[in-house]
Amino acid sequence: MGAGILGNHLAYQLQRPFANQGRKAEQRQALRRKNAKQIREHLQILRGPLMKLGQALSMQTHLLDSEVVEELSGLQTQAPPMHPTLMRAQFKSALGDYPEQVFRSFELEPFAAASLGQVHWAVTKGGDEVAVKIQYPAMREAIQSDFEMLRTAAFPVRLTGHLQESVVREAERGILEETDYLNEARNIERFRRQLATLGIAHVPKVYKELSCEQVLTMSRVPGRHLQEFLKTKPPQELRDKIGAGLVRLFFFQLFRMEALHADPHPGNYLFNEDGSIGLIDFGCVKYLKPEVARCYAQFWSREWLHDAELYTDIVRVIFGDRKAIKEPHVRRCLEGIGRFYDEFHPLTDPPVALDLGDPRFMDCLVKLAKTLLQNKFLSPEFLFLSRTESGMCNQLHILKARVATTQIAREWMPPISRIKRGEKLNLNH
Amino acid sequence: MNISGQNQAAKRRSQAKRSKKPGRRDLKKEQTKERILAAALELFGAKGLARTTTKAISKKAGIAEGTLFNYFKTKEDLALYFFQKETNDLIKWFNAQKRMEKAPLAERLFAIIHRQLEYLTPYEDFIGAVFFRSLQANSKLSPLSFDSQELRLKYLRFIRDILAQAEEKKEIPPVGELGAYALGLFYIGMVLHWLHDTSGGKQKTLALLDRSLSLATQLLKKGNWAW
Repeated sequence: MGAGILGNHLAYQLQRPFANQGRKAEQRQALRRKNAKQIREHLQILRGPLMKLGQALSMQTHLLDSEVVEELSGLQTQAPPMHPTLMRAQFKSALGDYPEQVFRSFELEPFAAASLGQVHWAVTKGGDEVAVKIQYPAMREAIQSDFEMLRTAAFPVRLTGHLQESVVREAERGILEETDYLNEARNIERFRRQLATLGIAHVPKVYKELSCEQVLTMSRVPGRHLQEFLKTKPPQELRDKIGAGLVRLFFFQLFRMEALHADPHPGNYLFNEDGSIGLIDFGCVKYLKPEVARCYAQFWSREWLHDAELYTDIVRVIFGDRKAIKEPHVRRCLEGIGRFYDEFHPLTDPPVALDLGDPRFMDCLVKLAKTLLQNKFLSPEFLFLSRTESGMCNQLHILKARVATTQIAREWMPPISRIKRGEKLNLNH
Repeated sequence: MNISGQNQAAKRRSQAKRSKKPGRRDLKKEQTKERILAAALELFGAKGLARTTTKAISKKAGIAEGTLFNYFKTKEDLALYFFQKETNDLIKWFNAQKRMEKAPLAERLFAIIHRQLEYLTPYEDFIGAVFFRSLQANSKLSPLSFDSQELRLKYLRFIRDILAQAEEKKEIPPVGELGAYALGLFYIGMVLHWLHDTSGGKQKTLALLDRSLSLATQLLKKGNWAW
């Protein structure tokens, strides 16, 4: 919880070469910049899972040097595009005809790049403005072979237990799932239906007849990316409203949907002046086991600090029955997470609004990431949950929002008595 | 480059002159050739080159077997005619693509090879048979045969012109004729990969084509290219 664990591990590994290079500070910085650029270029050529890892790393702004982060953040929106000839060839190979035959108009230059594909504006024959996501050819095959390579390359790290096979498998499953756009279409429909009740989120509509495994046609979602939104100098009130919206969105997904939009990189969120939030890119959605959401609530309550039975219960859900991790490590992990929640969700009464622009929240997140790393906290079931949560923290921090996080959490959190009895949380069931 | 540009203009003019008076006999001849080719392609695809008889071809095309020999002396001449048409179609198509004039080299080469593969798509079985046949040294389809030289040179010159344009624009350092030969070989390799590609929509071939062309042009741009 609290941090992208796999990302942290690799961040840690990546940091090392940079720490030893060059003697003079200037030299070192130049070298780092060059290295960072090289890393980005290489990741871009690969276009596969390593690029996804690059994105995960760029989220960890406090763990890497600023030069590296700057270069890596280029990955989030500026992946190298397919040239128009390849894009058209791929479109035809997937949908059977060239785009200009299928749409009334179609822009040859993409407006956004995704790691697995790119997105073009188009107008359907019926006159609707749509975004068409087209996948780079043979991504699935490329990813499978890249993961074979990753397994071989990471063999020593796997031996030491820093990177468990189950984590790699979970990452592979998640990334492979992203290559099937029909799966994404189903995710979008589910989120669109369920998030409508929350009333603060925009989710695109899918055009099924213009979609297949490698082409996804969706309605346009209003809003601007975080950095662009901030350029419009939104007033504090609006930042607060959006910040609260992000937290609500997180808890709604966790406790009402038991599913998470688990690709929290900033390019997937769009912000509007009325405080509403556009969600795009549902390739990576994690459907949570019911006991995971319950475990989160149990943990969040922090009653396990005094309740040994609850503590055992939580440990069993997070770590399973495996004896891979020793008790002192487990305790240190949970206490680390507990400390993070004491900052991020203080159990004061009445609840207070936190100024999340304060750097101490990020320091706190970094400290937690280090604790988890040192104590080998690697739980595949919680990987996506923590990725989403740390992504949210990151966004709230950049937004400089003031949010009463605890109050919002309590609105969605099921009462502790019900949690203890192990009742089902999802009201939609 | 200027010279070849003028040549092309002159060619177009002479073609225009010729097309003013399309002899009815020429037209009919061409139509018969097309009919024979269509019949042959279907049979080649189904039975392979060796097991298709000229008798079967003429029967399918609805002409006398003797007439067939007036047009094509051997089955291999028929196959060569197919590739001549393919090359002519390619060059005509490429020169009509306005957007290609500004496209980077990797994209132009991609467009060329993709167009060729697209042209071959309906005749995949036939191409497979031809590929096997052309490996035999005495075949007219062999790259070493006299009969295929004209066609080969036409293709190589076309590619060489495109590479020369990129050299002129300083997109790549001079690669000379070797560049065209290399791409010609690369194309043959791509056809082989395409024939074996079982992925949906032959997407593996698209990916391989794109990645190898961008890698090659990137390496060329960086220089230090030791032949």
